Amino acid sequence: MDFELTDEQQLIRDAVREFADTEVAPIAGELDRDHRFPYELLPRMAELNLMGMPYPEKVGGAGADYVSYIIVIEEISRACASTGIILSAHTSLATWPVYKFGSQAQHDRYLPDMAAGRRLGAFALTEPGAGTDAAAGTTTATLHADGYALNGSKIFITNAPHADVYIVFAKTDPDRGARGMSAFIVEKDTPGLSVGEAEHKLGIRGSSTPPLYFADCRVPKDALLGQEGDGFKIAMQTLDGGRIGVSAQALGIAQAALDASVAYAKERVQFGKPIAAQQAIQWMIADMATQVDAARLLVYRAASCIDNGRPYSTEGAMAKLFASETATRVADRAIQIHGGYGYTESYPVERNYRDAKITELYEGTSEVQRMVISRSYLR
Amino acid sequence: MRIVLAYKWTCDPEEATARADGTVDWSRAKPGLSTYDPVAMELARRLAEEAGAELIGVTVGGKGVGAPIASKAALSRGLDRVLIIEDESLADAGRSELAAVLAEAIRHIGGVDLVITGDSSVDVAAKMVPTVLAGELGWPAVAEVTAVTGQDGALRVERAIPGGVQVLEISGPAVLAASADAAVPRVPGMKELLAAAKKPAELLDLSALKVPPGGAVMTVTGRSRPERKARKGQLINTADPAAAAAELVAALRAAGAL
Repeated sequence: MDFELTDEQQLIRDAVREFADTEVAPIAGELDRDHRFPYELLPRMAELNLMGMPYPEKVGGAGADYVSYIIVIEEISRACASTGIILSAHTSLATWPVYKFGSQAQHDRYLPDMAAGRRLGAFALTEPGAGTDAAAGTTTATLHADGYALNGSKIFITNAPHADVYIVFAKTDPDRGARGMSAFIVEKDTPGLSVGEAEHKLGIRGSSTPPLYFADCRVPKDALLGQEGDGFKIAMQTLDGGRIGVSAQALGIAQAALDASVAYAKERVQFGKPIAAQQAIQWMIADMATQVDAARLLVYRAASCIDNGRPYSTEGAMAKLFASETATRVADRAIQIHGGYGYTESYPVERNYRDAKITELYEGTSEVQRMVISRSYLR
Repeated sequence: MRIVLAYKWTCDPEEATARADGTVDWSRAKPGLSTYDPVAMELARRLAEEAGAELIGVTVGGKGVGAPIASKAALSRGLDRVLIIEDESLADAGRSELAAVLAEAIRHIGGVDLVITGDSSVDVAAKMVPTVLAGELGWPAVAEVTAVTGQDGALRVERAIPGGVQVLEISGPAVLAASADAAVPRVPGMKELLAAAKKPAELLDLSALKVPPGGAVMTVTGRSRPERKARKGQLINTADPAAAAAELVAALRAAGAL
């Protein structure tokens, strides 16, 4: 068993870390404080081919492996968790279903621009009454002679209103429950699509998550992704990959909290010596480092399953469950190490603490991950 | 036009630890491009792009400089190809010896119009190799270069001098050492990183070069460092900043530091 990254994976990590340290980290605090979407980072990430990492070069992607893509999300999130999820949602939740389930015409129309970062994507599944129970959505798509009419609403839509392309899930046959759900590619200026007020969130404040409203929103027949009734399958398979992206985001947050804690423990002097000399601090650092490393092994293992063509649903759920709970725990310990200063905006660990919590909630709560994992063992 | 970029693959001393006996433990230090070399690569790359020149990386050193990751790291920063001379005898080679090998490697490539190097290496920081290399080649050496433009035979070089900038016109081949802040290196794009493995990386045996024997042998035979003075452990714990400053000044005067 080889635990070493390949040359390319190491070089990608170093390059993305350089970008994150010099261009993302310096504005991360401001993005959070002002609830500001990082407009200026998107063209830079496109320039560095980060917006379509795991997609082939022939469709505009970087042609990298999935582990490399996950390393990118980790490193960006280490600097700014908001930017990490913007990139992950675009790549894993919006571009992936087009790549996996799209027709040749849909590939030609969307993939080159999405993979190259010229068009930003979003994924619209959650509804006010349908979160974990995704099949309970009430948004409908009614077939007409010239296409479908979408009606209903979605909430917590990452990347709206900045996205150019939305993957929208709606019932084409409401009586059939999950089997009546279909997926559509909806472009941003489609009449009948409107975006509501952004949510005021505990963390990841640089990432906007407003609701979407569909009022007789007409899309052509060829906006249907896959076949009618494929929606639930598309959503679940997309989330299987998406949650590996979230696990990498959580890993990045945890690593940031650990790094800040190590630096602070060495420089903060109490009782005439750095607090790093106190066993209480040493043990906290030891536990944090061990948990972060264990999370990294699970996250990279899940990504390598994709690279090796193996099933990854359970592995992805384990990675997300462990990495997200690790992020919350490690960020909590980081504040403890920083003492009162950790509770202020003077240090980034309070942001890490607020950003970490969402990773236990979106793209499947920790309880959903436990359901996925236990089902694979109790079949 | 053919430009050679001489670079070093080495470990950052900040990642090494000093043992009690004064020797250095490098085992946890990760090798990489010497800190200022990406700056030189950016400067060379801009000139090569402007002049349509071929840009060749050259590195010499001990075990590890020929590792694929070392070549890929260099090739991802705009070099067209690299020539590597890896030999264990070069691991602890001095500046003169390294410069002599570099000079032979440059002669081996042939038709080189310009050599660009970094400001200094992160591990030794002697700033001598560019000058000694220029001496070996019989070319002029220019240090602290902040910009270079033009074509073969008519290069315009700017170098930082105290209080200003000196502009030079260079008609023939030369060795330029880029200043540490001559350019902000581009972060390599993912496609550049992944394409680096497809670019040519030639490993040349040291014995294939006719490096003249060196002169005097210089060996490090001992090390010492000044004894650390014990800290006084004086704590100024006064809430009023003005009073704290006065207390600090008084303490410094008492210690004879002011």
